[in-house]
Amino acid sequence: MTRIVLGSEPRLLNVLRAVVKFRAQEAGFSQSDSEYIALAVDEAAANIIRHTYHGCHDEHMALEIHLQPDRLEFILEDWGPKVCEDKIRPRPLDDLRPGGLGTFFIYSFMDECSYEQDYKKGNRLKLVKFLSGKGACANDGSSAKAR
Amino acid sequence: MTVQVRKLDKVAIIDCSGDVDLSSSPRLREALMAEIKASGPGVLVNMSGVAYIDSSGIATLVEGLQHSRQTKTHFGLFGLRQNARSVLELARLHKVFTIFDNEAEALEKIGSVKPFDGV
Repeated sequence: MTRIVLGSEPRLLNVLRAVVKFRAQEAGFSQSDSEYIALAVDEAAANIIRHTYHGCHDEHMALEIHLQPDRLEFILEDWGPKVCEDKIRPRPLDDLRPGGLGTFFIYSFMDECSYEQDYKKGNRLKLVKFLSGKGACANDGSSAKAR
Repeated sequence: MTVQVRKLDKVAIIDCSGDVDLSSSPRLREALMAEIKASGPGVLVNMSGVAYIDSSGIATLVEGLQHSRQTKTHFGLFGLRQNARSVLELARLHKVFTIFDNEAEALEKIGSVKPFDGV
C-alpha cells in the first residue's frame, strides 16, 4: 500500500500524477492507460481543491493506492465538508462550455467510483481500475459504476 | 509549463509546453485571452510541447474558442501529441476545434478557416 499526504496546492498535482502513473505501470497497465488513470485521479484531486476546499491551499488530502489481485484501488481522502454525491454528474458532451469535464474523465477511465458513506471526518473517494482487460480504458464516459 | 507568444504574418502563435493542469492553465488562459482580445487575424496554440492536459486546460481552450467567436478571430490548435488528441476525442471536442497537424499547415490554412468553422 502506498499512502501520500499532499497539501491542497495545484502545483503538487504533478507529484500525485507521477506516483499514480508509476504504480499503474508497475501493476501492469500500459503507458497510455497509466496516463489515463493518472488523469482520472488528478481530476478527482483537483475537484477536492476546487470544490471541497474552494481553492484554499492550506488544506490537505491523502492518496492511498492498494494493489489487489484483480484491481488497483485509489482512495482519495479529504477533511472538508461532506460531498453531496447526487450533485456529481458529468456534463453532457453536447453542451459546449468551459469546465465540467473532470467528472466525465473520472467516469471514463475508471471502472468504479464511490464515496465511503461511513467516513465521518470528510470524504473518502474510492476509484477502482480492474487489471483484467488492461488497456480497456473506456471511451464514452459511462465506464465507472457509481456505487 | 511555459507559455511564449510570437507573431508570424500577424498571426499570434502561443507556444505552450509542459503540463497544462489546474496549476498552470491560468497562465495559458491569460496569454490566450490577451491575444484574442488584441483582435489579430488569428490565434494558434502550439501544443507540440504539451505532455499532459487535464480538464482545466481543455476548459481554457474552450473558453478561448468561445471568445474567438465573439471577436471573429480565427482560432486553431496544432501539433497535438497523441495523449492530448485522445483526451479531446474522448470529450468529442476534436471536431469542435480547428486542429492542424503542424505550424506550416496551420499558417497556410488559418486564413481560410472561418471563425465559426468546426462548430
